[in-house]
Amino acid sequence: MTDFSDAISVATSGMKAQANRLRHVSENIANTDTPGYQRKTITFAQMVQSGEASGAVASGPMRLDQSEFTRIYDPAHPLADETGHYDGSNVNLLIEIADAREAQRSYEANLKMFDQVRQMSSALMDLLRR
Amino acid sequence: MDISALVAQNYAAGKAATLPDANSGGAAFASAAEDFLATLQASENTAMQAMTSGADPHALVEALAQTELAVQTAVTVRDRVVEAYQEILRMPV
Repeated sequence: MTDFSDAISVATSGMKAQANRLRHVSENIANTDTPGYQRKTITFAQMVQSGEASGAVASGPMRLDQSEFTRIYDPAHPLADETGHYDGSNVNLLIEIADAREAQRSYEANLKMFDQVRQMSSALMDLLRR
Repeated sequence: MDISALVAQNYAAGKAATLPDANSGGAAFASAAEDFLATLQASENTAMQAMTSGADPHALVEALAQTELAVQTAVTVRDRVVEAYQEILRMPV
């Protein structure tokens, strides 16, 4: 029975991590037009419990994308320099959408595993019932 | 050989088999019951937190699934035990 409950916790950790990733993606998308906004990325790492890897995943610390800002031409903007340009964000919407889709697929995979474990355990118990 | 002597001998042998064994499954059953109780309490606490302070919905779903698993196991085992007991009671003596 412990394997079933362990599998459920691992699947839940995956869902949590993907939800966290999706949150950062939505922050990036929301701030696409914010001047000077640096794209946020997160990493995934194996969760360590009492010295050994538990198999669950955790989202690591958030990091800022250090790539160049896009230069936007708008002389009327208060942040515009003498050439009429200002620093936009370094968010690429296409990458964010792809990332969001990937998060969704991974989330679905974890959800499927969760459901699978539940079905397997109740099938096992159905064996005892008649 | 007298039949009553044989019956008495069989009875003595049979009685020994039904005596409660001190270190049988009792402790294991108690720990299983405690485990079950802990799972149930954890799920209740998580549900309460989710309702009041907005805990992670994933944690809520996980706790409820774990409880479902535990309750299902407990109910099935209980049903089997009760059924076995009734089967013994129905035994023609």
